[in-house]
Amino acid sequence: MGLNLTVSGIGKRYNEKPVLQGCSYVFDAGVYVLMGPNGSGKSTFLRICALLEPPDAGAVVYREAESALPKDAELMRRITLLLPKTGVFNTTVFRNVAYGLMIRRMEKDKIRSRVEMMLDFVHLAARKDQNALTLSSGETQRLGIARALAIEPEVLFLDEPTASVDEENRLIVESIILKMKQEKGPAIIMTTHDRAQAERLADRILMMKDGRVEELGKE
Amino acid sequence: MESIAQGFIQAFRLILHLDAELFGIILLSLKVSGLALMTATLFGIPFGSLIGLRKFPGRSLVISGLNTFMGLPPVVVGLFVYLILSRKGPMGFLGLLYTPSAMVIAQTILALPIVAALCHSAIVDVQPVIRQAARTLGATPLQVTATVIAEARYGILSAVIAAFGRVMAEVGAILIVGGNIAGYTRVMTTTIALETDKGNFELALALGIILLVISFGINTALHVFQRKGIRGVKQWG
Amino acid sequence: MRTLAVSITSALILLIAPIAPLAATDGEISRIRCASTTSTQNSGLFDYILPIFEKRTGIKVDVVAVGTGAAIEIGKRGDADVVLVHAKEQELKALAEGFFVNRRDVMYNDFVVIGPPVDPAKIRGIKLASGALRKISETAQPFVSRGDRSGTHTKELAIWKTANIVPAGQDWYLEVGQGMEKTQRIADEKRAYTLTDRGTWLSTKDNLDMAVLLEGDPALFNQYGVMAVNPEKHPYVKYREAMEFVNWLVSKEGQETIASFKDKLENRLFTPNAK
Repeated sequence: MGLNLTVSGIGKRYNEKPVLQGCSYVFDAGVYVLMGPNGSGKSTFLRICALLEPPDAGAVVYREAESALPKDAELMRRITLLLPKTGVFNTTVFRNVAYGLMIRRMEKDKIRSRVEMMLDFVHLAARKDQNALTLSSGETQRLGIARALAIEPEVLFLDEPTASVDEENRLIVESIILKMKQEKGPAIIMTTHDRAQAERLADRILMMKDGRVEELGKE
Repeated sequence: MESIAQGFIQAFRLILHLDAELFGIILLSLKVSGLALMTATLFGIPFGSLIGLRKFPGRSLVISGLNTFMGLPPVVVGLFVYLILSRKGPMGFLGLLYTPSAMVIAQTILALPIVAALCHSAIVDVQPVIRQAARTLGATPLQVTATVIAEARYGILSAVIAAFGRVMAEVGAILIVGGNIAGYTRVMTTTIALETDKGNFELALALGIILLVISFGINTALHVFQRKGIRGVKQWG
Repeated sequence: MRTLAVSITSALILLIAPIAPLAATDGEISRIRCASTTSTQNSGLFDYILPIFEKRTGIKVDVVAVGTGAAIEIGKRGDADVVLVHAKEQELKALAEGFFVNRRDVMYNDFVVIGPPVDPAKIRGIKLASGALRKISETAQPFVSRGDRSGTHTKELAIWKTANIVPAGQDWYLEVGQGMEKTQRIADEKRAYTLTDRGTWLSTKDNLDMAVLLEGDPALFNQYGVMAVNPEKHPYVKYREAMEFVNWLVSKEGQETIASFKDKLENRLFTPNAK
């Protein structure tokens, strides 16, 4: 097992309005699905866990075995968050997926084989040399997943991964998540509005309520 | 007075029999404007990127300043550079007035605000989600910056093209600081002005056509490159 | 990022490629700068005499052609080594102020009044330039003035003074602030009269729908002079080379060269008269 994530007493305010108030939870391996109404703070929670924003109060600590890891650049490279907007780079599909590997200065041959594997995985192999900005929204979402998975994260945050895709792409994305779960891939922490989807994917379902995370039993 | 068509025929005849003097004038134009553009690019892109990427006190003032300088009348720049480089001016000891170097300096001053200001807006136009995506994929702050600049590359190239158009077409500043000395500081635009005065419309027209063809060629080459990228497409999600 | 590097590099290569072979400039030749007038330059005189001078002395003369007033100003500032102009009073004044040394008369030609061949002001046949200008003002026919403190402008103002007329501010009086060719061209377009030196007129008349309407008045005599910038005012000027140029112009060889200069219609444009 890779990283485990302990969130303790996180608070966050936007314009004096509290969004998160004393959020605590311990994430381990598996798929966690976070639900809750719009504006309940799910995205903020994910962004803070992914170290993209500091909390106003509390702490986010990643542990490996027993020792706590500091929040440094090294740690940032072992986790990733797929944003609701993918943020496609104006270049080919291939180079988009290769991005995370290129900035890690991986060898060219390794990049090539890894990227091709990822593109197969998300059914985009045929689009390899196309400019990524020409993809449909569903394909863009799959590209985002491939790009995130290419760096082999130990924790993968997905913010509403199927909110803006059609039925066909939703099924593809879900099957990808299930496959990762089966293969004991990264810990996945995702948000969704779709209760049925949560049931299909989650090991544990969490609810965001009054700025706190609560676990719903899942039997 | 012959018709304009007659003038064009004469002009094309002159282009076909391009003599050494004319060729020298064309080369000097490219040399002066090219060097000015290179210098302006070298300083303008980092400067434009800096004000596009970093927030600092006085930033909006710098941006309005740049936008104002974009429209600087070339003759004002010419006068300014003239006074600086004249033997009686602060840099007079360099003895640069009425040399090609003075022309490069004047055109660099004209091109720099264009490169910097358009480069700045190209960088500002890069959507914030690009920066975030780079961060989520593990980019260091330096790599995030490089990614944003790379995303703005087509806009930056447009900035360079715009600046090139400005300096190639410019006549006021180089006439003042270059002196239009035959065989030394005489370039295409100043020759066109002179030959028009002299009534040698065919020669002026010939040079005008060559100037257009060169600008067209360089613009086309750069736009072919630019078309490889896709612009103005919205980000999904 | 590599993409950016590639794009910038390719853009630069595109630009540098045609430049590279020209990057080197001549360091050996000694060159001096002569501030002179558009009329001298555009007559083609320099193109004819300077190669001969260069061959003789190895000195290359760069000519900056402006109006006489501006040429004297450039010399005063030390931005030229020698001036060759045609406004004797202005020259003598600058000489007296110590900006220049060794002024010599070089050559002369004359001014002529040109205008539309139909001559709406009816100045043809008038002997004195001042009389012709008076007629133009009385009939309120357009007159284009250089208006740039050039030698021609100075001469023109002197004639107005002789005629006792203040043309400035009149509707028919256009001060254009341009060189001789441009002024002629404007006069041509506006069907106006103007004063021009004969040298420029002879070189441009084929392209103009104008005619000489008055010539031969002694008041229209146009003396050219050369003088070196005073090295005591501006120590960096190339005084020795400048004096070589001055001395050559007034030498037998220089004077003969000027005399042998003809325009494409075989007109002699300047008469040498160095003493």
